[in-house]
Parts: sequence; structure tokens; C-alpha cells
Amino acid sequence: MKKVILTLIAASISVVLYAQKISVKGSDTVLPLTQKVAESYMKKNAGSSVTVVGGGSGVGIAALMDNTTDIAMSSRKIKMDERLKMQDAGRAYKEVIVANDALAVIVNNSNKVSQLTREQIEGIYTGKIKNWKEVGGEDMVIVIYSRESSSGTYEFFKDQVMARKNYASNVLSMPATGAIIQSISQTKGAIGYVGLAYLNKEVKALSVSYDKGKTFVSPSLENAKNKSYPVVRPLFYYYPTAKEKQVMPFVNFILSAEGQDFVSKVGYIPVK
Amino acid sequence: MLNIEGIVKKHRGTFFATNPANMQLKSFILIFVLFTINLKAQEPELNPFDTLASNVAGINSKIDALNRFKFSGYIQTQFQVADSAGQASFASGDFRPGVDKRIAVRRGRLKLTYNSPANDKGISTSQYVLQVDVTERGVGIKDAYMLLTDKWSGWIQLKAGMFDRPFGNEIGYSSSQRESPERGRMSQILFPGERDLGASLAIQGSKTSNWNWLRAEGGLFNGTGAPSFNADATDFDKKKDFIGRISANKSSASEKIKYGVGASVYNGGFRADNDTLYAISKDANGNKTFMIEQNSFKGHYAERKYTGVDGQFSIDWKPGITTVRAEYIQGEQAGTSSSTSSPRAAVTSNIYKRKFNGAYFYFLQNLGASPLQLVVKYDWYDPNTEVSKDEIGISAANGTKSTGIADIRYDTWGFGMIYRWDSNVRITLYYDMVKNETSRNIPDASTRPTYMKDLDDNVITLRLQVKI
Repeated sequence: MKKVILTLIAASISVVLYAQKISVKGSDTVLPLTQKVAESYMKKNAGSSVTVVGGGSGVGIAALMDNTTDIAMSSRKIKMDERLKMQDAGRAYKEVIVANDALAVIVNNSNKVSQLTREQIEGIYTGKIKNWKEVGGEDMVIVIYSRESSSGTYEFFKDQVMARKNYASNVLSMPATGAIIQSISQTKGAIGYVGLAYLNKEVKALSVSYDKGKTFVSPSLENAKNKSYPVVRPLFYYYPTAKEKQVMPFVNFILSAEGQDFVSKVGYIPVK
Repeated sequence: MLNIEGIVKKHRGTFFATNPANMQLKSFILIFVLFTINLKAQEPELNPFDTLASNVAGINSKIDALNRFKFSGYIQTQFQVADSAGQASFASGDFRPGVDKRIAVRRGRLKLTYNSPANDKGISTSQYVLQVDVTERGVGIKDAYMLLTDKWSGWIQLKAGMFDRPFGNEIGYSSSQRESPERGRMSQILFPGERDLGASLAIQGSKTSNWNWLRAEGGLFNGTGAPSFNADATDFDKKKDFIGRISANKSSASEKIKYGVGASVYNGGFRADNDTLYAISKDANGNKTFMIEQNSFKGHYAERKYTGVDGQFSIDWKPGITTVRAEYIQGEQAGTSSSTSSPRAAVTSNIYKRKFNGAYFYFLQNLGASPLQLVVKYDWYDPNTEVSKDEIGISAANGTKSTGIADIRYDTWGFGMIYRWDSNVRITLYYDMVKNETSRNIPDASTRPTYMKDLDDNVITLRLQVKI
């Protein structure tokens, strides 16, 4: 009996010791995907533990530098300043694209406007266009929502949609994508942008034209896949080379057919 | 939930079996007690989630307050071997007589930073910074300044106190990050201690602005530099020195290249406490020596005027990140016959005016994704560009003064390797090869070696650094 108990205790200790513990931190855009994949991964790998926390791409990469996360999720490429800091910290890292994401411009469901050109969106976000009637809508002040500057989505939107122009000073910064959805669903004149995975019936997604109004394309998985929808970006995982053995099972899982199936289900575009 | 009826019944005998006056008082007490019990009974009970949320909110608020304080610092311990005992050196200072090997704590820094809570525009409008340095040489204050940021745009910042002079790139580059053990000879001579007491105004676009890449800064400083361990840096004249700098930093769209350029100007000086100002000119024999430029110079101001340009470039490519940094400074420096170092205290000897120039170049190559970095550095400092080689030290005609060792040019090559143990620890092995200008007119003397040949003054440094 004693032997059995001792064996069981030893086995339990071994399981605990060898249990995979992975912490993932960063982009709120990648968050829902990683959460789903982590749930499935933990079910399949008894004893493994994957902790997933958001906060924004910048927060995730900073955590990677500080060694407080094993994987940083990012909706933008690591910046040169961050590369230099990683080098200074002696932290070699690897980059993996786990999915692609389309960014949707959203308004309140009651808004009659259903499409905008890139130039019009730029005008709204830089503060040149202040009223919906200027873009074919009602006589209603435009309330602009954005993500915080630490967000990769914030920077991607600025680079790709606003042609690197500056955000207007009256833009309301929200700490998370969920907060943008909620605010827009409750504010008649609101406009914002979110990853495709966050789209729901509470808000209306606008079709966008990148050829000055000749063709408008709606943000859908299909249009993103066939590349007719232009606002698409890669989503990254960054992890330290020193932790490759520890994190690779999870990274391989998200890149597997099963993992990429989650990518589609969550509303992103698979890389494989 | 409370059995009020039971309580009343239980106390009926006690409360009501007395006289009417007492009865009134007791009735009042009873009503009060019951009312109190009833009130307590009506307090809503929080469900566990609300309690947890409330606790988390409380903890978050405390963490937010603590996050406004930041402690950082580093300790550098090093072992150095010099070519010759007691040699003069710019690799962490002169070696003491008879010493050619030494172990020293070069820096023992602890820095406290406090940022005020962000306002509704996300701008922290004030910052407090205090940094001390504790080594075997004593305790010194390195930084003590406040930083005030305008609360409307975050574009304008006022800095006041003791802090790095905003000149060039190497001065403000922390030695915890710098790849060579020391700054170049020129930086150490022109800006001893790097810091000064003053106030500066900086304009730079906020992080989210399209103009964030451009920065302009200018300020007035005592010019005496920061205090050393042995002396304070209280200003000794009423003239304040102006330092201005404009710089630009950008990254490529691919975020694989970063580059920056800057231009700086220094316009200052110090009061002369002796009568004569000397400058280089040809004497009666046709030799370049120091001749009197102005008598009765006492009380006048000796000029320090520098202009500098600097550039930085980094690229992340297959061999690893490559960085090149360079800076060139030229100008006019007032000093003494034996030194061109910027004075920290009143100068009571005659003043010698010199035109100088100098530069440094860093080539840094990270070896792939490894924690190893190769360092190659070259710097020169020519304290007197008007004389060179055998012109230096030549006998002066009557009424003039000879040039000397303070006019010797130095060229230094540095080769090193950095190993980053982890994100806190790094080990540096570095070799300084110092080459001085030679002159047959500066032979051996009791107080110094001969400058007729290159001095034996190379240094090997092995440094261990822990940064927190």
C-alpha cells in the first residue's frame, strides 16, 4: 500500500514538474483566437496550462523584453526600437505569422451610411470631416473612436487607412476592442474600427473603397481571403529563442490544420 | 431575518415593569435599538463577485499608485590591466603610482523616477528624477531634476535641475547601454561628468504625432558641470552657457532600419581670474607659440564655443543588427597651459585659447541572434589644431609661452566583445589602444614621460554589469 501511495505521489510530482506552463500576452486582436486555441490545446494536453492576457501589442512585446511572458501576441511587426532593446537585453526571438486579419470600419446600426472611401475615412479620423452629412449621412456630429496608441491596431489603421496622417485631437481612445463595440452600439453618430473577429450584430460594418469610390468591398472573410478587401494585416507571435522547446508545441498547434480551423471560426484568415 | 418579536418578548418584563418616566426612556432606547438592528438588517449583502470586483478595484488603484514610482540602476565592477604602472588614462581615470592592475566599482547607480498621474489627455505632466552613485570613491548625486510637460499637447517640456547636457549623442547615452567602457576622450574633456546644472526647454511631437521624429532642445547652464565626489559644482561666475540641439530620428516602413541625425551648439565661457589671455600665433622666430592676445583679461570671460554634428544608423539584417554611430565636434576651448578640460572651479592661472576638433565612430555588430556583440570604436581629440607634431613644445621666444602636452592629439582604437548573459547581466571585454601625437620637443621630465614616442598607455578592461 505504501509503495502504491509513494508511486502515486511521485507520479503526481512528475506530472506537475513536467506540466507545460505557457503565458501569452499582448494584442487584443489576437486574444480571442489565442483563447480558443489555448482551450482546445489544454483539453488535448492534460497537465498543460496556457494563460492568455491582452493589453495591446506594445504591452506584449514589452513583456517579452522583461521576460514576463513566453509568447507576445502582436497585430503589428516588432519595431526597430524594440528590436534594439531586445538586442540590448540579450534576448533573441523568433517571429511567426499565425493568422491574417481584416480590419472593419464600423458605425451604429441606425446610421444610414453604409460605405466610405479610404479618403473619407482618413478625413473623418484626421478631423477634416466632422458631420455625417458630409459623407451622405444625416446631419449628425461624428463621434470618433479609436484604440489606444499602444495598440497594434491603432498603428496599422494609421499606416494603412490614414496614410500615416495624425489622428484628430478629439478622437476617443478606448482600452479594448470590446469597449469600442459597446460604445458604438450605444452612440448614434459613432465610428470606429475593429478586427473582423469582433464584428457582431450590435454594430454595422461599412464597405470600403480603395480606388476613390469606383468599387466598394465589404469586410468579410471571403473578401479578405480573395484579397478584394484591402485592409488586411498579419497577426504575429513572438517568442524567445531560448524558450523555443517550451512554446513550440503550442505554436505548432495553432499552425496545425486544427489550429487554423480555429482561425477561420474566430473570423480571421488562415495562413495555411 | 431578525426575530424582532422575540427580542421584544424577551425584554418585555425588564422594560415595561417600571415607572412611566423610566418607561418612556426605555421605550425610546428600545425603539432606537430596534431601528438600528433593522437598519443593519436592511444593508444589502454583496455577492461574492461584487466583493471580488471591489477588492480588485482597490488593489488596482494601489498598483496604479505604485506604478508611478520606478526604481532602476546598475552596478559595474571591473578589472583593468594597464600597459604601465601609474599611467594617465581616460579608461576610468588615471592609475595610481605603482599600480597597473586594479579592481573597481565604476558605477553603483540607483535611480528613482516618479511620474504624476496622467491627465484626461493621457499626459503625465510632471516627473521627478533622483539618481545617486555609490562606489568606493564615495556617494555622489548624478541626477536631480524635474520634468514638466505641457498639459494640453504634451509637446513642450521644461527640465530643470542637474541632468545630462543636451549636446550630441554620446553625452546622453547611458553607460549601462554604451558598448565601450568609457566615452571618448573628447566627450570627457569637454563635458566632464556629462551633467550640468541648468534648465532646458524641449519641443517634440507626442508619441502619436507625425512630428514625433523631430526634437529641438535648448537651455541655459552654469557651465561648471556636475559635482564630482570631491568638489561641489556651485557656479563661480554669473555667465550662463547656452546649449542647443536639434535632432531627427526615423525608422523605415519595414521597421528594419533606424536612422538619426543631430546638430548641436555650445556657446558659453567662464570668468578669468588672472590677467593674461594667450592664443596661438607666430613668434619672432616664426614658430607657433602662445602669444599674449589680451592683457588685463581678469574679470573678462574666456570663451567655450563648440558646434557638433552626429549620426546614427541601425539595420536588422541576416548577420544580425548592425549599428554605426558617429559624431564630430569642433570649436574653441579656453583652458590652462596644462589642460584643456572644461573647468569645474574658478581658474586662477592664465587662460590659453585653443581651436580644437575631435570625433568618434562606433561600429557594432550583433553576431546573428546570439548574445554576442562585436564592438569597434575609433576616436580622436586634437586639442590644438593650430600646432602639430614637432611644433608642439618648441622653445618660445621672449614674452610667449610654449605649447605642451595639453596640445597633443590622441587617437584611440577600441576593440571589444559584449556577452549578454541575460536581460540583467552583461560582460564586456575591451581593449583600448591609445596613440598619442609625438614631438621631439617634449622629452622626458621628472613629472611626466617623454612624448618623443608613443606612450605605453593601452588598457584592457573586463567589466561585469548587473542592471535592474
